[in-house]
Amino acid sequence: MATNKGHSAVRLLWSLLIPAFFLMAMPALTGVGGLRAQESGAAQADPGPPNTLGKRSDAEIWHDLRLGAGGIANPPTGSPEAGSVINSEGWEWAKLRNPEKSPIVHYGAWGLLAILGLLVLFYLIRGPVGHGEDSGRRILRFRLSQRIVHWSVAFVFILMGLTGLSILFGRPFILPLIGKEAHSILLTAAMQAHNLFGPIFALFLLGLFVHFLRGNFPSLVDIKWLLKGGGFFGGHAPAGRYNLGEKAWFWTAVIAGGALSVTGFIMLFPDDLATRNTIHLSELIHAIAALVMIGFSLGHIYLGTIGTRGTLKGMVDGYVDENWARAHHDRWLEEELEKAESGDQARETAEEGA
Amino acid sequence: MTLLELLEGPLWIASASIFVAFAAFRLIVILFTGRREAEARPAGSPFLGALRTILGHFLPWRRLLGNGKAWFVTIAGYSFHIGLFVLLLFAAPHVEFIREKIVNLPWDPIPRWGFILSAQFAFAGLITLWLRRFVDPVVRLISRPDDHVAAGLTFIVMLTGCMALGEQSAFLRGLHLGLVELWLIYFPFSSLMHTFTWPFSRGFTGAMAGRRGTRA
Amino acid sequence: MTSDTTEKHRNFDKQRDLPDEVRVENAMAGFIAEFGPRAQSWMNACVRCGLCAEACHFYLATGEEKYTPIHKIKPFEDAYALTHGPFSWLHGLLGRKPKLTIEELEEWEELIYDSCNMCGRCTLACPMGIDIASLVKDARRGMYAAGLLPDRLARIVRNAEKQHSPFGSPEDFRKTIKEIEKEYGIPLPLDKPKADVLMTITPEALENRHFGVASMARVLHHLGYDWTFCSDAFEATNFGYLSGNMELQGALTVRLIDKAREIGASMLIVPECGHAWGATRWEAAKWYGAPVDDIKIRHIVEVLADAVEDGKLECRPVGESATFHDPCQQIRRGGLEEKPRILMRALGMELREMDPHGLDAFCCGGGGGVLANERAGPLRLKAFELKKRAVEETGADHFVTSCNICEMTLGRDIEATGFGKQIESLIDLIGANMITDQPPLKAPGSGAKPKGVGKRAAGAKKAGKGRSAARRKPAAKK
Repeated sequence: MATNKGHSAVRLLWSLLIPAFFLMAMPALTGVGGLRAQESGAAQADPGPPNTLGKRSDAEIWHDLRLGAGGIANPPTGSPEAGSVINSEGWEWAKLRNPEKSPIVHYGAWGLLAILGLLVLFYLIRGPVGHGEDSGRRILRFRLSQRIVHWSVAFVFILMGLTGLSILFGRPFILPLIGKEAHSILLTAAMQAHNLFGPIFALFLLGLFVHFLRGNFPSLVDIKWLLKGGGFFGGHAPAGRYNLGEKAWFWTAVIAGGALSVTGFIMLFPDDLATRNTIHLSELIHAIAALVMIGFSLGHIYLGTIGTRGTLKGMVDGYVDENWARAHHDRWLEEELEKAESGDQARETAEEGA
Repeated sequence: MTLLELLEGPLWIASASIFVAFAAFRLIVILFTGRREAEARPAGSPFLGALRTILGHFLPWRRLLGNGKAWFVTIAGYSFHIGLFVLLLFAAPHVEFIREKIVNLPWDPIPRWGFILSAQFAFAGLITLWLRRFVDPVVRLISRPDDHVAAGLTFIVMLTGCMALGEQSAFLRGLHLGLVELWLIYFPFSSLMHTFTWPFSRGFTGAMAGRRGTRA
Repeated sequence: MTSDTTEKHRNFDKQRDLPDEVRVENAMAGFIAEFGPRAQSWMNACVRCGLCAEACHFYLATGEEKYTPIHKIKPFEDAYALTHGPFSWLHGLLGRKPKLTIEELEEWEELIYDSCNMCGRCTLACPMGIDIASLVKDARRGMYAAGLLPDRLARIVRNAEKQHSPFGSPEDFRKTIKEIEKEYGIPLPLDKPKADVLMTITPEALENRHFGVASMARVLHHLGYDWTFCSDAFEATNFGYLSGNMELQGALTVRLIDKAREIGASMLIVPECGHAWGATRWEAAKWYGAPVDDIKIRHIVEVLADAVEDGKLECRPVGESATFHDPCQQIRRGGLEEKPRILMRALGMELREMDPHGLDAFCCGGGGGVLANERAGPLRLKAFELKKRAVEETGADHFVTSCNICEMTLGRDIEATGFGKQIESLIDLIGANMITDQPPLKAPGSGAKPKGVGKRAAGAKKAGKGRSAARRKPAAKK
């Protein structure tokens, strides 16, 4: 039992390291590697790796194969994997991908459940965070275009999340409940929808990036906010237009979402964009990025709805109460009020001059 | 008779008939009942006025060229409608279905990538337009339950259609077809009727303006 | 909410002593009475895109979503859905007779009467080309039948019904015409048994703009028309048209056209008024069931512009620059876009167009009975800001229009805001600057009227005062 657990942990660690390595090694793996394989395949028109009849050890043969030794023109010349006979990376990938034993499925499921549990716990202990009485004065927080972009991303994200999680968790969790036939129907449906909405998600995400970039750069006040525990455990934590938590979510959404988009595209066009290795890695990165983003989104959804009073209104109507802003984004409120005041003054001066 | 056979046979006939009969009935009521008033001696051509408005309102009003909402409605609107029409009339399963059930379409279906692309345009347009109904105070105020039902039903129809894209499952095909049939039945009684009323709405206004020697 | 607070915050007026059920029934009947293919096509085409709001000066000036044009006719739409809508047959099948609520009608009185000038700007913005202005006019029919309109408007309607005109009785009219004759030393033909042209007039001209009446008469004399006023058919404005009292609208129009026929006129001239043009020129046919072909219904601006083009009317060049406020009912909905511009050119004025102008122009904010409804005053002033900005941007010397209602509205708004411009009447400018053999007008207290702005001397002084007051207290109106 213990060894098994330790083993899983090692595998998880490994699965996290692969993407990091992959990001660095991407050019080598795709472009250069492919080229080398092609060259070797074209130059030596020999019948395959030498000594396949036992003069060399298996390990040596595998080693040669992994370095791209080939010769049989299948997959055809010209494709990214021309000349490659066997891709032994597939073994490692298959282990990670194995639906019953995969560390990604295993830890992913536990991780999401843990986040949900923590949120429930937090809600039970702390309850919704308020801001005292409403002041009755409203201030514009999100423009209409920001609201539309936000909810468009949210809508497609949920759709992608539900279909994606069905694909990831379907065999271990859903199949036993609904049986093979229903599960296969669910999965073909989920896959089609997931593939189709992917590019829409990427497009909307780009819109999200453009519309919410302003105010999401780090600043000194973030440290104060962090030291005050974000105000989650009482007390006031100062913040500008976005607090550190929101900034973290923004960049997580952008980076994880970007990774999801890129790897998603690779998997949508596997024959044209990638070698088998790239596809394997894409799939791993895709799953991990998705779990990270979904996990973070649970916290975001909690805080945006029942977790903080008056926040949802800001993203629906665009306006928040001034006291809400004072409690959660005091620096931003000051700036806005100053802007409004100087705007009024400018107007008055203009009128006096008229 | 399996459920799919039922959906492809009697239920399809029934819903298509309801769609045709009630849409026609609604159009007849709209166009041929109620008061018709005598019109003033024309100062310009009502016909040309109608034509001008019917065509002219395909583009946003020139005064709204600097208006973000007008751009949004126009781009998202066209994205949705063009995408939807391409899917409806050119998608391979649809061409096959229409040829089998209604009429032998003279055109070939679009390739798969064309389907995917038009579906993405259609979905992107529909999703943003629909979500705007919740977050734009103006549109939220004026949206009727009907507008949400029409958008939601259209979305579900499109979504199940795309889910059935693998064409491996009779269930998914049946689900899509069943929702299409529901949509067809809902259509004549809803704001989806704008599919047919728009030329009349624009035309009457344009004719009125044309008669008065002005433009609309 | 207790009935106390409802009463306090009541923003609707009620006329006549009717039980609420009767009001609702009358409204429902009134709403659907005018329904035909046109209105039904409009009602069934809206997809709720909200672009109409982007055209409406009341929405643009306030940013309040309730001023979205299509929202203003909601009770009308609801009535349509209940009685003629796609599911109405179901109600019949189930033996139900669904109704609107009195609360909905009361709430919408403000939106239907105070916040719509029926200017038709939203029509241009609507992707479906829905003419919401026409639908608002139809909606007012139901509201009038329910006895739910602004009190002030209702009072004017009653005057129009009982006394011939909101101005007064035929006797009052004759007296005033005699006064103007004496005042300006110009013959004003009255009640000629036969004449080729029947001239009509607005109450505003009779009350406050005697110089305008005289100068218009002088132009008609100059053009050599055989014309007359008739004391039993002088009123051009049509408060039936504005209030939703269709019976009155018909009666008033028929009165004019029948009179023109009676005196053997070939032409009926509509004075400087917008909705009178719509009611008489474009809607008269519906009361006769056929177009009025035997009598030419023409607008005074049209008559003068055509005279200029035919070389029958010339003016001394006034010079200076001017901007023209387009009255919606004459221009956007009336087809006269070019006519006032011909006259401006004839006056030798440099025309500096506003942005927007012509068919796209903003309404003055007072048309469609809104000016008559003092309750709408504060809202109207907000909408005036749009016009004010447009005028300021032109930097023009003169601010001219060709509609009495626009002129009154803009005049009052100018006074209230201390805007440093005065509004001038195009016809007055023509009258004062026309080159003619006609004897000059004798003006009370002063001689000739240089550049035709003299008649506004009093108003100008007032406006000037307002302006300097505004200079002293720039933020006073905030």
